[in-house]
Amino acid sequence: MNTYVWLVRREFWENRAIWICPALIGAALTCAALFGRVDVAALSSPEQNRSMAGMAFFAFGAIFYGVMSIYSTWYLLDCLYADRKDRSVLFWKSLPISDTATVLSKVFVGLIAIPIVYFIAADLSTLLMAFIIALRSRSSFGGALWQPDLWLQLQALWLYMIISTAVWYLPLAGWLMLVSAWAKRAVMLWCILPPLAAVLAERLFLGSHAIASLLRNRILGYGQAAYDLSDRGLWVTTTFGHDDAITAPSSVWRLLKPIGFFSAPATWIGVLVGAALIYGAIQLRLRRTEL
Amino acid sequence: MSPGMPPIIQARDLSKKYGSNIALDHVNFAVEAGRIVGLIGPNGAGKTSALRAILGLTAYEGELQVLGREPFADRAALMNEATFIADVAVLPPWLRVDQAIEFVAGVHPRFRRDRAQAFLAKTQITGQRRIRELSKGMKTLVHLALTMAIDARLLVLDEPTLGLDILARRAFYDALVNDYMDATRTILITTHQVEEVENLLTDVLFIDKGRIVLDSSLEDIATRYAAVAVAEDKVAAARAEHPFFERPMLGKKVLYFERPDVGKLANFGEVVTPSVADLFVAKLS
Repeated sequence: MNTYVWLVRREFWENRAIWICPALIGAALTCAALFGRVDVAALSSPEQNRSMAGMAFFAFGAIFYGVMSIYSTWYLLDCLYADRKDRSVLFWKSLPISDTATVLSKVFVGLIAIPIVYFIAADLSTLLMAFIIALRSRSSFGGALWQPDLWLQLQALWLYMIISTAVWYLPLAGWLMLVSAWAKRAVMLWCILPPLAAVLAERLFLGSHAIASLLRNRILGYGQAAYDLSDRGLWVTTTFGHDDAITAPSSVWRLLKPIGFFSAPATWIGVLVGAALIYGAIQLRLRRTEL
Repeated sequence: MSPGMPPIIQARDLSKKYGSNIALDHVNFAVEAGRIVGLIGPNGAGKTSALRAILGLTAYEGELQVLGREPFADRAALMNEATFIADVAVLPPWLRVDQAIEFVAGVHPRFRRDRAQAFLAKTQITGQRRIRELSKGMKTLVHLALTMAIDARLLVLDEPTLGLDILARRAFYDALVNDYMDATRTILITTHQVEEVENLLTDVLFIDKGRIVLDSSLEDIATRYAAVAVAEDKVAAARAEHPFFERPMLGKKVLYFERPDVGKLANFGEVVTPSVADLFVAKLS
């Protein structure tokens, strides 16, 4: 267990962008709150305030989450390639650390640790922003950002998001790591080309598109799989002024569908495929020490 | 060492193929405890394959036991008691020197932090420096400091001084011999600069085209091999004693003999023990 703690710490030493990146986003958002325009006109009712605050929180979180997804993808694709490229793998392998521990620590960092760091940064900066806006704002919107239950709901949403994306995207993470452990160069190309070739070959020779829809469902189907988006009663539209409107879920609790998600065969088939790919990455890591 | 004690490294029928290219061809050898063994061979002879197999970095065919373990199946456990420096400058460039010490101390049960720090205190290298900021010689010293602080039974060095200047190379070997080597340790070393390690070694393994061509202690070399510089007029007579190699030198011919009759050879000139480097050239030509 101790070894895993050191391995994770090692990843934070090597990839300082893990915390520098979210810190910069947080700083930028805080600056926006400090110097930007904070008064939203035409907000009058508590419902409008609440709805606006919810959307603002969600938007801030989404910025962090979007950057995190890109960074995490890059991290997983690079993590087993970088130390073969600079040959430092020969140093790491001279230490009593199994290749399984090395690979699993990187899976953990890519799918859990990095999202947690971004999640903490998102929380801290939205808190800071809410505080600044509350002080600066002269309209009723200022106080509207202090909504304890909304805050709590958002925490639940982030936590659920971290866990469910880690599970749902495990096969993609496994694929990225397999390429990272295997490729001699151009990891980005090797990560995209084989699936693309498979899609084209299937279309060309069989005229079907099963692989394409499989990939599309995995990459874009997370929302459908993990959230109850179809329940129309869930959505509440708040109108502002003449024709501005925000449609938001009335409650995060009704949005999440953990039971549906964790009991769906697609979820667990994905986990199995992901585990197989990660096993493959470990096997390659055992054998490939150089490019 | 006491009889019956198993060797540190035992290879039987060890083979390694890369496609149709045979890197190691049913090789047999053993390395006993407390020895400093030089694994010497030309490029592409199979040295690196042998070391990679011993260190568990590659799969192989045949039987291989290192400290009683199968290296490939059990590398992580093996690295508790064995360690290696493969090539210069493989420390990660982004790592700080103090982080390197902290990390190894964290994951290695036999690492002595104070020893690494004491060694580095004798150099100009400070803990805040990143590896990428250091010269090649300094990187090697950091790696050596980390490695020597590990209380390992087996240390494998693969071209540890490649590309270093003469001062850095000397500093490396001085530290190795004076601060590290003792009777409980075993060192296996490959290098192109044979002359530089010659007086360090207790044993040599010559490897060529995937096969071991000589496996001998240096004492045995002294009794088994002889070289004589013979003047031209005596060359024909000396050749009757079956030299296995000869080369010209300053108007004379140096003839190399295996298990010679030293009494007879003395008639042709001064009989000397060939250096490891000379013997290597003689054996592989």
